[in-house]
This record gives sequence, C-alpha cells and structure tokens, in this order.
Amino acid sequence: MELQLQNLSKQYGEKRAVQRLNARLTPGVYGLLGANGAGKTTLMRMICGLLKPTSGAILLNEAAMEELGEQYYTHLGYMPQDFGFYPEFTGREFMLYMAAVKGLDKKRAKSRSQKLFSMVNLQEAADKKIKTYSGGMKQRLGIAQAVLNNPAILILDEPTAGLDPKERVSFRNLISQLSRNRIVILSTHIVSDVSCIADTILMMKQGRLLLQEPMDTVTDSIRGKVWEVLVSERQAVEYSRRFPIVNLHHEKGKVRLRMVSETMPAAEGRAAEPDLEDLFLYHFGNQTQEEMEDVDPI
Amino acid sequence: MLIQYELLKLLRKKFTLILMAVSLALTAFLFGLPVMQYQIYDENGVIKGMEGIRYEKEQAVKLPTFLTEEYIAKTVHQVQGLFQNPHNVGYDGNEQFLIGEAYWKYIAPRENLLNTIAKAYDNPGEHSGYNKLADIDAAEGAKFYQAAESKREALLEDPARRMTAQQKAYWSSMAAKVSTPLKYGYYQGWETLISSFELLMFAILSICIVIAPVFAGEYQAGTDALILPAKYGKTKLVTAKIRSAFLFGALAFTLHIIIAFGILLTTFGTDGWELPLQAANMTIPYDFTFLQAALAGLGVLYLILFAAISLTLLLSSKMKTPYLVLPVLAAVLFVPMFLTPDGTTGIYNQLLFLLPYRAAMPELGKYISYQFGSLVLDAFAARTFLYVILTVIMLPFARRSFKKHQAA
Repeated sequence: MELQLQNLSKQYGEKRAVQRLNARLTPGVYGLLGANGAGKTTLMRMICGLLKPTSGAILLNEAAMEELGEQYYTHLGYMPQDFGFYPEFTGREFMLYMAAVKGLDKKRAKSRSQKLFSMVNLQEAADKKIKTYSGGMKQRLGIAQAVLNNPAILILDEPTAGLDPKERVSFRNLISQLSRNRIVILSTHIVSDVSCIADTILMMKQGRLLLQEPMDTVTDSIRGKVWEVLVSERQAVEYSRRFPIVNLHHEKGKVRLRMVSETMPAAEGRAAEPDLEDLFLYHFGNQTQEEMEDVDPI
Repeated sequence: MLIQYELLKLLRKKFTLILMAVSLALTAFLFGLPVMQYQIYDENGVIKGMEGIRYEKEQAVKLPTFLTEEYIAKTVHQVQGLFQNPHNVGYDGNEQFLIGEAYWKYIAPRENLLNTIAKAYDNPGEHSGYNKLADIDAAEGAKFYQAAESKREALLEDPARRMTAQQKAYWSSMAAKVSTPLKYGYYQGWETLISSFELLMFAILSICIVIAPVFAGEYQAGTDALILPAKYGKTKLVTAKIRSAFLFGALAFTLHIIIAFGILLTTFGTDGWELPLQAANMTIPYDFTFLQAALAGLGVLYLILFAAISLTLLLSSKMKTPYLVLPVLAAVLFVPMFLTPDGTTGIYNQLLFLLPYRAAMPELGKYISYQFGSLVLDAFAARTFLYVILTVIMLPFARRSFKKHQAA
C-alpha cells in the first residue's frame, strides 16, 4: 500500500493553503505537525476527497484517486477535526448508518460496530442517543466510525483536541492499537501525542512540506541547538525576547529556561537532548510567538 | 438500508413531527372550513354545517337522473309558468325573482340544477340564475345542448382569448366527446374538493421544509466530512437521500390527501363521482366525471410536489444551511397566488397557469391551452409535461452539487 501525493496544491483565491507538496506514504504512523494555518487540515481534506486540489494528484498504489472512485474510499477512514453527529441517533444507529455508507453488509456492520464499541469503551452507551454523549464520548465514537471499514489509510485530524489528560492517554493508546499495517496520518497541536506514537514526522509550514523524517532521527538536525540556562527572572524576560523558549521553570528564585538557538545563548548554557517540541519551536518559534502576541498582547 | 436511515434522520427530528402535525391540522382546518361554513336556506331560515349538508342531500333525491331535452323544456315551461303569476314574483330593482311557495317548493330544492341550465343560455361573460329561464323561448323545445354548444363556441371565438384555429379545434373536438343527455345528481363533495386543491400548497411547503436539510443539514452539522469520504458517500448515499426525500414527500402528502379527501367526502358524501363535470357547468369541455377530474387534478398536485422536492433538494445541495432554502421555496410556491390572470392566451397568462399555486387549480372551464407548432396541449397535459421535466432536470444538478461539495 502506497499513498502518493504528487505536486499537490490548493489555492483559495490569492491564498495558497498547500503548495506543490510531494510525499510517498507507506504503512506507519505519520505525525503531521505545523502551526495554525500551515495547511494540515487542507492537505488531509484533499486526501479524503473533501477538497479538490487546485493542481497535482493523489495516487493510491499508483492509481489516481479519481480513477479509483469508490474503490479509493473503501481504503479510507477519516476523523475530522470538527464534525457533527445526528443527535437523535443512538451510537449504534450512527455506526450502522456509517457502516452502510461505507459499504459494509449488515452482518459485518453489526459485528464490527460491537467490537469497536468495546474497543472505544462505549458499549454501555451504544444504545443511548448521541445528544446525551460527552465530548470525549463523541471523540471516541468519531474514531470508531473512522475505522469501521478497517481502512488501510486512517486520517485523524486533531483527534485528542478537547480531551482531558486521562482521555488523551487512552485515546493515544487506542490509536496505537489501530495503527498496525495502516497508513495513519495524525495531525495534532499536541506534540507529545505525536512523539509517543508516530513513526515518521511530517512537518508543514505555509503550505509546504518542511520535513519528512523518521521519528528516531527527526531531532538530529537540531542536536546542539537546544539549550538550558538557569537565570534570574529579569534575565529570563530578556532571553524570552531573543529566543524561542520551549520551557520555563521557576527554581528557588531563579528560572530554568529551555530554548532553541543556533549558538550557545550564554556562557552558563548547557546543551540539552532535543525532542519534538524543541524541533517544533525551532521551525515555528517566531510564528507561534507572533500568534501568542496576537492572542494575548499582555 | 441507506434509504431506511435517511428516512430515520428525517423522522427522528422533533421539528419534522411538529411541522407535520401543524400542517395536517392546518389541512384539516382548511378542508373543514367548507363544511363548517356550509349553509343552505329553507323557508324557516338558514341551515348551517352538517345539518345543511344533510338537508341538501335529502333535497337531491328529487333530482332527475338525466338532463333530457324533454325534461329541460318541461322545467323551463314550469319556471315560466311560475313567473306568469304576479303573486310569485319579486323585484329588487334590477331583476325579477320568485318568492314564497313558488320559490321554496319549486326552485329551492333544485336551484343548482336550474342555474346550470340557465347558464347554458348565457352569453359569454353573463352569470345568470334560474330567473333567466323565464326569458327563454322554448316554444319549439328547449334546445339546451345546442345553446350550450353555441355558448362554448362563442367563448372560443371571443377575440380577447386570442385563440388560434388549432386551439379552437382542440377544445371543440374535446367537448364533442361529452355524451348527452347528461347524467345529473348531487355532486357537492366533489365540486368542493376540486375547487380546494390549491389549499394543499401549504402541505407541499411543509414537506419541502422538512426535506430542506437533506443535503444542507449535513453541511450545517459538519457530518458532510464524515459521509463524503465514505465508499458510497458520493454515489449510493446521494441516491438514497433523493429517494428517501421523495418517499417521505409522497407518504406525507398522501396523508394530507387522505385528510383533505376524507373530510370533504365523508361530510358531503361521495355521491356524484360518476357524474360528468358538465353537471356543474355546461361550458366545461373535459369529458371527465368528477372522480376523473379529481384524480387528474390530484395527479398534477403530486407532480407539483415532486418538482418542489427536486427544487428543494437542488437548493439544499447548494446552500450552506437549510434556512436559506425556505424563502426561495415560499416565493416560488406562493407568489403566483398574488398574480391575477388577464383572461387571454398571452404569455403572462400562459405562464401564470403553469406556476405552482395556479397549477394546483384544475381551472376546468377556462380553456387554458398551450400551442407548440401544431401541437396543442391543455392545462393538465402542459402541467404534467412541465413538472415531470422540472423534476427530472433538477435532480442531476442536486446530485452533482452534493458530490462536488467542498467541505472546507
């Protein structure tokens, strides 16, 4: 199974949401990272056939998506970032409906739904109306519908958004379970979610694919560029103006800063082992700082 | 399976149930009005509602079975005899009429019949009552059917109608098929029913409001992002959505029809179903019984419904929310209600009689015809043709629009 994205672009008027993106994806978990507006959702929606690319092609095993038609969608499972349900349906009715839309026969739809209810821990709520579900329950139902057809390509857009930490951990584990022998594209703002389960990191910036690296080696490029310093509060303010700060921790009247910088920021600085958050900040530091300033000018 | 779930989506909404209940209640009220407002007079005064209907049906037993020339001549002479006695005659400054026993005993029990006979002798544009019979020269027979034919021809020749020779020939040939002597009897239920068809436009609007979310509801709720990337999301599901909308529409409308027909035909009775339409008006050219006319009108109503459903689905597939569909539908269905026909065969009039509200009215005696080259179509045929075409034409666009919908 190979999903190929060839020179994929999407343009809304003057705005280029995705620009000439190329990638070859084989089974594995792909963590799709990028700041807001990087084009992640647009890319995923194009792969799902929800948005028509302005140019370029999506190929599954070298056959174009348009040519494959229904066949293409047989292999697809999608959990969007923002999606709705039919509030008057029970969870089971919803799953059976989605199974019918996905082309599963009645018998398989029932057994598969039952199995998935159990997997996402919704078996007791299966016959309750969806309007009575909590946000977490709806998210779990969302992922259950995405894998109903046992898809070879599973696309999850911010699946852990809005979940509490406990739900997030169980959700992550669930995605791990589901990821075997599939192409899983997982987009999230929560870098730790990706670092736990992704095999490969795809990073997008301004509609372009910035990097595509295995998880094991993705941070190698910033080795020697992540630093920790212990400074006074006054100095901490100064540092935070000059460098993207990954972490800030108060320790006995001083502040321990973790930052990303091409060179050692201070004589007392100590090189730290880079992680995915550092990499994210390395590439999006300025952008996220600007966003934060836009949101909270105080 | 998909149709079943799509129907379930429509039926599970409280809004659907409430709107349908309101619409059925409104239909019951509107079709109950002719019963509630029905009134007839006897010498003691007015008899209203069901009691009035019962009274009229009792009187109808005395009506003739066939309108033969002999019967009509005898009736005309009888009325003229009554007018010859000055004690029987009243005058309102405009026209003479019968009073007292002469009216209550000889006219009132069959006034509708006498009016039908009298109208056959009218010139186009006149609307006479039974007192017209006093002026008819029936010395050499009533020549009733000849008079009716002359009136029909005069109507066709009326320059204001601007009819072509083919249209005139079309109507004359249709009218010639009506067999004589006419069968006569009580037909109040059917006549009321046929003249109330346009009231069912409210039912059509309600049904369209219910199905407006079929596509737009998915966009609005964000469920489009779940169903469109599924195997049948752009193929069988679209078909299921369209079929379920039509199925729901047909069933819901049939329920309204049962109520409308039920109320009028159980109160006024089904009597008269086999009578020719000419029993009510001799200038009607259609060779239909009341039942046939009701079914033809009903057929057109269903076609209007189906075209309205198609339009709703098209709008629904194009618009972001179902709420935007409503004003367009309401305008399309009800604006023609406020437009008045001008009585000619001009484009305005021809189009007006094809628009939904007007098309719901059978307009049996108006000689509405449409000519394409040498082909002449009457209102039923033209409406059938138009609404079938509209239904069929709009669906592929709705289907395409949903398939191409970009869930941004």
